Amino acid sequence: MSGSAVSGRVMPEGGVPGEAVAGKPAISVRNLDFYYGELKALRGISMEFPTRKVTGMIGPSGCGKSTLLRVLNRMYDLYPGQRATGEVIFDGRNIIAPGMDVNRLRARVGMVFQKPTPFPMSIYDNIAFGVKLHETPSRSEMEGRVEDVLRRVALWNEVKDRLKASATALSGGQQQRLCIARTIATRPEVVLLDEPTSALDPVSTARIEELLDELKKEFTIAIVTHNMQQAARCADQVAFFYLGELVEMDSTDRIFTAPRETRTQDYITGRFG
Amino acid sequence: MTEATHTVKSYEQELERLRGMMARMGGLVERQTAQAVKAVVEGDEEAAIEAPDLDPEVDELEREAEALAIRILALRSPMAIDLREIVAALKITGDLERIGDYAASIARRALKLDMDGGISLIGLRSMGRLVQDNLRRAIDALAARDRDQAIAVWQADTAVDELYTAMFRELMTYMMEDPRNIGSCIHLLFVAKNLERIGDHTTNIAERIYYAVTGEMLPAVRPRGGLGPQYASATVPDAR
Repeated sequence: MSGSAVSGRVMPEGGVPGEAVAGKPAISVRNLDFYYGELKALRGISMEFPTRKVTGMIGPSGCGKSTLLRVLNRMYDLYPGQRATGEVIFDGRNIIAPGMDVNRLRARVGMVFQKPTPFPMSIYDNIAFGVKLHETPSRSEMEGRVEDVLRRVALWNEVKDRLKASATALSGGQQQRLCIARTIATRPEVVLLDEPTSALDPVSTARIEELLDELKKEFTIAIVTHNMQQAARCADQVAFFYLGELVEMDSTDRIFTAPRETRTQDYITGRFG
Repeated sequence: MTEATHTVKSYEQELERLRGMMARMGGLVERQTAQAVKAVVEGDEEAAIEAPDLDPEVDELEREAEALAIRILALRSPMAIDLREIVAALKITGDLERIGDYAASIARRALKLDMDGGISLIGLRSMGRLVQDNLRRAIDALAARDRDQAIAVWQADTAVDELYTAMFRELMTYMMEDPRNIGSCIHLLFVAKNLERIGDHTTNIAERIYYAVTGEMLPAVRPRGGLGPQYASATVPDAR
């Protein structure tokens, strides 16, 4: 370690993102506010999601991390009274501005939820369904696509002989991998995961985490998690949210060994409140 | 330093226990070093016997602290300042244990010294005082998690190195003057070397404290005395 390691660090004031992970941003959030009716749930969020990196989002319940995730593919549009102001730039466009094709956006920014949400149909159709919404592949193309995504989520060997069986008969971990397969089948650029393993056992969790390592070669990933170890294991950069504000964002190493902000430190060391 | 305590009280208690073990080790090792120096410069035989006698207790504390630190690492998955503190504790207890060994070795040597040759112990006395003073300040800095004190200790070792170099020359002179001094001088040279090593471990402790408190490493090259001008201008962070 050289002397510059001690003197060269800049200490930002008031929750300014630190050394963000390098890379061209897939999504840039600028000065984003979000409201549930009168309640302001996000306050002046500015951050970037670097392309083909995993951004972990942590913070206590109600801190706004899941809200932010829901803004990134306009999931909030489904509910009246919820609105966002500011900019969320994806592929050169502000996706929260009016006139955005939300269905197209959700194909490009896919989402996986906390509880596995397989459709009540066959394993095969769970994947084919989403693809058919946006494309019209031939039957053989579709079969190839289904096999490809099931292989990528390491589910193929477990289900290849029962593709026509109901997806709801799969175990929780298998269902979640199927949901990830369904999400990546539409070939999105960004995958959002909202506590994807909180309902899974440790082995299934490890499989999903291993899968994230593979997926980030191809997709930009944002993951909300209550499990700090999971953020530490999976993420390249971590953002800590508190009371609707982005308190600190930095490389995962930095956040978990020497965060700059006292609030971050109190939270990750279990000294909160 | 974070003021808040852990939500999980038993975690907080475990960290407190670890701190307590380090404090006890620090106290014992300080005592060993003081007795060792007293044994040499005052010819105090009781002190010479006490210093090595404390060694088993220090060794036992080191083992206990290591076991506790590993337990906390395994069961609590510590993060940030807690992680740094525990890793620092593992290393600091190792340094303290080594300091205890050096002090015991000095004390044992004191019993073999024959100081009839008119050899001056003034240099050794000041070196002993300085080493003890730095060690005491390092242990205080550890208890108070005092970053500035840690930097001060880290910098102060330069003077110990300089005194060691001076001692080396002085003892060489005694040996050349009269070969009958060689036996005693060699013992004293080892004593000085061991004091210098205690100084180095004290510096290590200061470095660990600095890391635990700030999350930053001090520069690998610390200012050194006596060994050449190339180290004299090592980058030292300002004490704020």
